[in-house]
Amino acid sequence: MVNDVDRLSKLLRELEADTGTSSTCNTVLVTLQKAMDRLQVSDGEAFYAELCKLTQILSETKPQFGILKYYFKKLKADCHRVKEDEDWREKVHQALADLHENARSQRERLLQNATSIEVKNKTILIHDHSHTVHDVLIAFKRAHKKFNVIIAEQDVEKTNQNIEVLHAAEIPFQVIPDYMLSHIQANVDMVFFGGLTLKDSMNFVMDPGTYGVISQFQTMKIPVYMFMNTAKFSLWKSKPRGEIFFHAHKRSHHAKAIEYDRIKYSHDRVPANLFHKIITNKGPLTPTQLKKTFEVLYKAAA
Amino acid sequence: MSCFFRWLSLTFCGFFPSVVFASEVSQIHETMAISSSLSFVALAIFAIAFVLIIFEPFEKSVIALMGGILMILTGVLTAQEAIAVIEFETILLLLGMMLLVHMASESGILSWLNVRIAEFTRGSPLAIFLLFSVITGVFSAFLDNVTTVILIVPLTIELLRGMGRDPKPYIFAEIIFSNIGGALTLVGDPPNIIIGGATGFSFLDFVLNLWIPISLTAVTFLAIMLFRKRKDFKSLSGSLIELHLAALLIEKIKHKFLKTTLHRGFVINVLIILSLTILGFFLQEVIHIPAFVMAFTGAVLLAIVSSRQIDIHHAFGSVEWSTLFFFAGLFIMVGAVEKTGILDVLSDWMVNSTDNLLYLALLILWISGIVSMILDNIPFVTVMIPVIFGIQTQMPGVDTEILWWSLSLGACLGGNGTLVGASANVVAGNLAQKHGVKVTFLEYTKFALPFTILSLVICSGYLYFVV
Repeated sequence: MVNDVDRLSKLLRELEADTGTSSTCNTVLVTLQKAMDRLQVSDGEAFYAELCKLTQILSETKPQFGILKYYFKKLKADCHRVKEDEDWREKVHQALADLHENARSQRERLLQNATSIEVKNKTILIHDHSHTVHDVLIAFKRAHKKFNVIIAEQDVEKTNQNIEVLHAAEIPFQVIPDYMLSHIQANVDMVFFGGLTLKDSMNFVMDPGTYGVISQFQTMKIPVYMFMNTAKFSLWKSKPRGEIFFHAHKRSHHAKAIEYDRIKYSHDRVPANLFHKIITNKGPLTPTQLKKTFEVLYKAAA
Repeated sequence: MSCFFRWLSLTFCGFFPSVVFASEVSQIHETMAISSSLSFVALAIFAIAFVLIIFEPFEKSVIALMGGILMILTGVLTAQEAIAVIEFETILLLLGMMLLVHMASESGILSWLNVRIAEFTRGSPLAIFLLFSVITGVFSAFLDNVTTVILIVPLTIELLRGMGRDPKPYIFAEIIFSNIGGALTLVGDPPNIIIGGATGFSFLDFVLNLWIPISLTAVTFLAIMLFRKRKDFKSLSGSLIELHLAALLIEKIKHKFLKTTLHRGFVINVLIILSLTILGFFLQEVIHIPAFVMAFTGAVLLAIVSSRQIDIHHAFGSVEWSTLFFFAGLFIMVGAVEKTGILDVLSDWMVNSTDNLLYLALLILWISGIVSMILDNIPFVTVMIPVIFGIQTQMPGVDTEILWWSLSLGACLGGNGTLVGASANVVAGNLAQKHGVKVTFLEYTKFALPFTILSLVICSGYLYFVV
């Protein structure tokens, strides 16, 4: 039977691929609340022991989610403080609620910092299905800013998610296959991306295919923005390409007797210095400022 | 392995009766409407078609149609006689239900319901086992069991594998319950549709006469499984890891299986029309409307009120025309065999061997049960229809209705015995394979055969008390 680390890793990978990092992290917190409500333990000590086991498994998943490690570290510290209290359950509930609030307020700060970008009458290109980017665009729309969006078409599901969100928000958009962007690149004013995490190598882990799109617009000197909260940073020494998974399977040519291997990779690693600005909850940062901020946070987490 | 069992059953079912009946044939045909040479032609065509259907060198509907056509071309039946022996009520009931179920599935309500049930289980292995098994049985009783397994098996695999458990016992339980549930109603399983079409039994007749053995069988199976697998069904409530993983898994499943937003109006229409159709089945004897008319009324009504959501051409394309043509060809072949008088010989032999109604009922139960384990039960049931009518004629003044229920129980529950015993079994096995769960013939048979025999014993007990 598959062990718990593998099961959790698979679940998180699949959730992240389908719904994005922020949504996955939110789901983890919500489901943790549900699990807590159903857990039958004798006291706060027993609960703390169970939480430690879960945190240990989470720290071994592949890939590792910096934001989840951050949340669970905070929750563990809070639970350790209250585990001997009579009303430990209520206090742990409150700690979880505080985490949700923390996530929400970080998101709000990021959206506020995003307003520093002038988008009036601009054309914005998006490629991945980042919920953070969706929130930013919706925030612009609510602030009555006029702009339009080009969706660089990639994986069908991810493109459809982008289409659904923009349609629901009544943001005008067009869809162009990502391998045809050279025809419209002169019309694009800026490019928005989200990501899974920032590694200590100062590479962002992002959707597959983003490196090519970013490089293309970077050479055209069109500003490329990354939107990411600092909670998502991977504040530990990472293995090279530890978060990249590939999947190979055999395929057959539809009309001829030809078999071939088709290989897909889970993520791209994109150097932070390809970005014009990285919009975080701590403010808009240049790549140099990002490196300094990362180092400060890294030392604090160690 | 399945080939071996097919050969074995062919020997059992084919050789022995042939030896007994061969000497009777020429005498019988002195008095019958067709010559003995035509009788032999008819029996030969039927026997060859039957063997080909067992081994399926090509699509069985084509084999059945060819058999039917040959009966006409060789003069065994006239074209008018061939049309007359086709049970159109049976075929139209199947067609109506296929359309109705397909259109209902298109609304997404069935997938939605499955996911909500998965959510309700909260990852508890016991709840998953109980709820999914029972839901499979209920769906199979009122919709068709192939559609039911298509909806439930992938979700089961996703759920159990995500929990790090072996999905096979759960899949096997769902297969068994699909046949148990399908045995309860007129529309739940093709053998019952054939029996209902031939006898005129209503939907309620099936439920009232079969609910006791079916309920006993279902409860017995659940009890056995709960005992055998009690360690696997331990509660998760002591482990935060298991609870959290289960909750995450259900969120993932919700996202995966509920991609399409339900259209409120469409769902409401489906629920109302399905409910009315099922209610109509229950009230068949009161409102005097044949079941196939009700099924068609439901399908046509749904197509009209949800015309914007339903692609009717797609719905027509989804109908299993091969199944309907298979039935048509089979009815013609059996009609031709009936004309030879051989089935009267079989009825006579059975009545002459005993006038004990219980013994006859048990004989039919066990023979149909064993045959159904290995062979397609539809041709067998179709052949048994005129045989039982013949027995009834030979036993005037005796209430022989129990023989039909024996046939229904044996044919439907016998299908649980092996992986090839029923269409739902084959479909579930293929689906499991497609989702990375290899189910072998032996593995399933080892699990299901003892229980199938036990279910036939339970039905035997029921017959003993009823007769």
